[in-house]
Amino acid sequence: MSTKVVAMILAGGKGTRLESLTKKIAKPAVSFAAKYHIIDFPLSNCANSGINTIGVLTQYESTFLDTYLGSGEKWGMNGVHSVLTSLAPRQTEEGAQWYKGTADAIAQNIDFLDDLDPEYVLILSGDHIYKTLYNEMIDLHQQTGADATISVIEVDPKEASRFGIMAVNAKDIIVEFQEKPKKPKSNLASMGIYVFTWKTLRKYLKDDMKDEESEHDFGKNIIPNMLNSGKKLQAYRFKGYWRDVGTLSSLHQANMDIIEADEMNLFDNDVSTRIYTEDTYSVPQYVGPVGYISHSIANQGAIILGHVTSCVVSNEAIIAENAVCTNCVIMEGAYIKRGARVHNAIIAPYTVIEEKEEINVDGDDIVLVSRRVK
Amino acid sequence: MMNKVLGIVNLHDSPSLGVLTARRPLGVTSFLGRYGLMDFTLSNYSNSGIDRVIVLAEREAHSVRSHLGDGQVWVRNTKLGFQRIYKNESLLPSSKFNTDIANLKSNSNTIGEIPFEYVVIAPSFFIMSYDYNELIQSHIESGADVTVLTKRVPGSNKDFLNADVAEVEEEGKVSRFFTNTGRRKEVDISLESFVFTRSAFERMIKESGEVSLLYSIRRMVAYYAENHLMDVRALPFDGYVVPILSLNLYVKHSFDLLQYSSRLKIFKDEWPIYTTTHNTPPALYGERAIVSNSFIANGSIIKGRVKNSIISRDVIVEEGAVVEDSIIFTQTEIGKDIKLRYVLADKHVKFVEQKKVNGEKDEILYIEQGVRV
Repeated sequence: MSTKVVAMILAGGKGTRLESLTKKIAKPAVSFAAKYHIIDFPLSNCANSGINTIGVLTQYESTFLDTYLGSGEKWGMNGVHSVLTSLAPRQTEEGAQWYKGTADAIAQNIDFLDDLDPEYVLILSGDHIYKTLYNEMIDLHQQTGADATISVIEVDPKEASRFGIMAVNAKDIIVEFQEKPKKPKSNLASMGIYVFTWKTLRKYLKDDMKDEESEHDFGKNIIPNMLNSGKKLQAYRFKGYWRDVGTLSSLHQANMDIIEADEMNLFDNDVSTRIYTEDTYSVPQYVGPVGYISHSIANQGAIILGHVTSCVVSNEAIIAENAVCTNCVIMEGAYIKRGARVHNAIIAPYTVIEEKEEINVDGDDIVLVSRRVK
Repeated sequence: MMNKVLGIVNLHDSPSLGVLTARRPLGVTSFLGRYGLMDFTLSNYSNSGIDRVIVLAEREAHSVRSHLGDGQVWVRNTKLGFQRIYKNESLLPSSKFNTDIANLKSNSNTIGEIPFEYVVIAPSFFIMSYDYNELIQSHIESGADVTVLTKRVPGSNKDFLNADVAEVEEEGKVSRFFTNTGRRKEVDISLESFVFTRSAFERMIKESGEVSLLYSIRRMVAYYAENHLMDVRALPFDGYVVPILSLNLYVKHSFDLLQYSSRLKIFKDEWPIYTTTHNTPPALYGERAIVSNSFIANGSIIKGRVKNSIISRDVIVEEGAVVEDSIIFTQTEIGKDIKLRYVLADKHVKFVEQKKVNGEKDEILYIEQGVRV
């Protein structure tokens, strides 16, 4: 069976900068915006783009992620025309190896892709927050006849040295790639989203596997190798909201962006870019007689008896009487007991904040409180 | 044991909730902003391990279908378990002959193919969290043909007026059923959950034509009990029951369940209530939102004030708007500075013109689906 586009979602990273949030689960499985998990975004984007064949590359703490993917029904991918499967490193005739890098994760699954025989492979990251349809990027890739198309976003020139920067010509063809350059030649940063012509990518992956010096990384190895050998690499200029939520503060900020419902609007009723997720069988969300909630979002199952301002409140979270939460991301099952005060914090799932406990009350930096009992 | 049991949700023979059920079955009527009333019965079956379920739709089968959804199969194994909807194709929905038994009879061939030893039949208007294993176990132990679940309440309890009462004799035998007029000190209300042994169930379907074409399951059970033609027993239930037998009771209990103590009696940690998914985002509260003692469903956007109310999915309460002591169904919009009190607004209502819309404490004002006020 031939499938024109297969998406491969890289979801194996540990996400060490998210500290204990990723102690037991992979970064793409981390809770987001009261109801979602981060990986819902690329998966829903695929569903909305009509891409129904997806491999999810897992490695670090994959159990929760595997269970969450289930039969794919959360994103409508349980039909006869869909394939959604997780691909963890496994033992083969050649032996057993972990994925040594992003490119190696795909290389170790060449058989999976060969069976599907796609024309194009879309490489995505499992830990980005954005709403898009990939069709325009794939169309551009086809029209330009490129070997690879790389999604780029304009960043503040002062920040450019933190990113992989693409220098392009007048036709947006990439002429140089700089990984975290001291003197960036443009402000176009790679988003880690690629469309490859499968035949070409396959060859480069095979060569990369044999290269003992390689870090087996798309940004560090595959893209520079393709550029050096004169392959055509096209830049696709992404417009709109896109965030890499790799740190506590960026994760917190992206959650706050959802409350603003401005650049990133989950409430616009636009069914063409809707984000799908699990619907928990929770009790109705309840705000108590002296409860107070404003400038916030809250999911079903949340019980708000205290005061909540500028917060993201997940299912089964309880804010007890006289507790005050401001500027917090309160994940599922967290219990903020009576009289506690919490500010600028991410409260990990099932964490209990004790009565009258004070967390970061005058703090400007984001703190993580993680006392997972479950 | 549960693989020997067939569960039936009976949407026939249900009380009218007046305007609310004029165009939809009671079983799919919105409750607490999040559920259809039949979700409680379906969840009881699912949590009891009853994996094969038939919903008997009297009318508007499409709305039953869309509420059950395609992917919403609350069973342990989707090959072995199922949820089907049966309706009587040959009878007009309004026909007095369109009974639950006629529905069963017209689908008797496919029911005949299902392997089961016992069948549980339950309505969607008595809300409770109940493990049907208890009823079935009691039924098997007594060797009865039919066992009915009952609830003992004082005759003075107006919530159960006009409900069926079982006259319970020794060993739980039921000698007759009669209507609760509230004159007795205590009564055993029939919760209309029946468990039948298969042979008794098939006998009832077969004989119903000879007894009366107008009889429902409930009436047939009464007929068998009164004439001592079947061994009908009662099993008392001492848990909490919310009777939705009229529009007034629907409103009264909706608001009562805002109280945490009432809610705890229905919603239990180990007994989830399943419902269909609508892929809505979380609820969004604006900077000037003021909300107290209310249920707020996902997808709603609250910028104004909400007090003592039930807000369903995708409802918008604009800035300056005030919603008090009201029940608002899905996708209704309450425009800027508009004030509602004691209002029950059906789906897709737009409150934009009239600045104040008020019902009364004892008589909620119903606003029809889709109108502009």
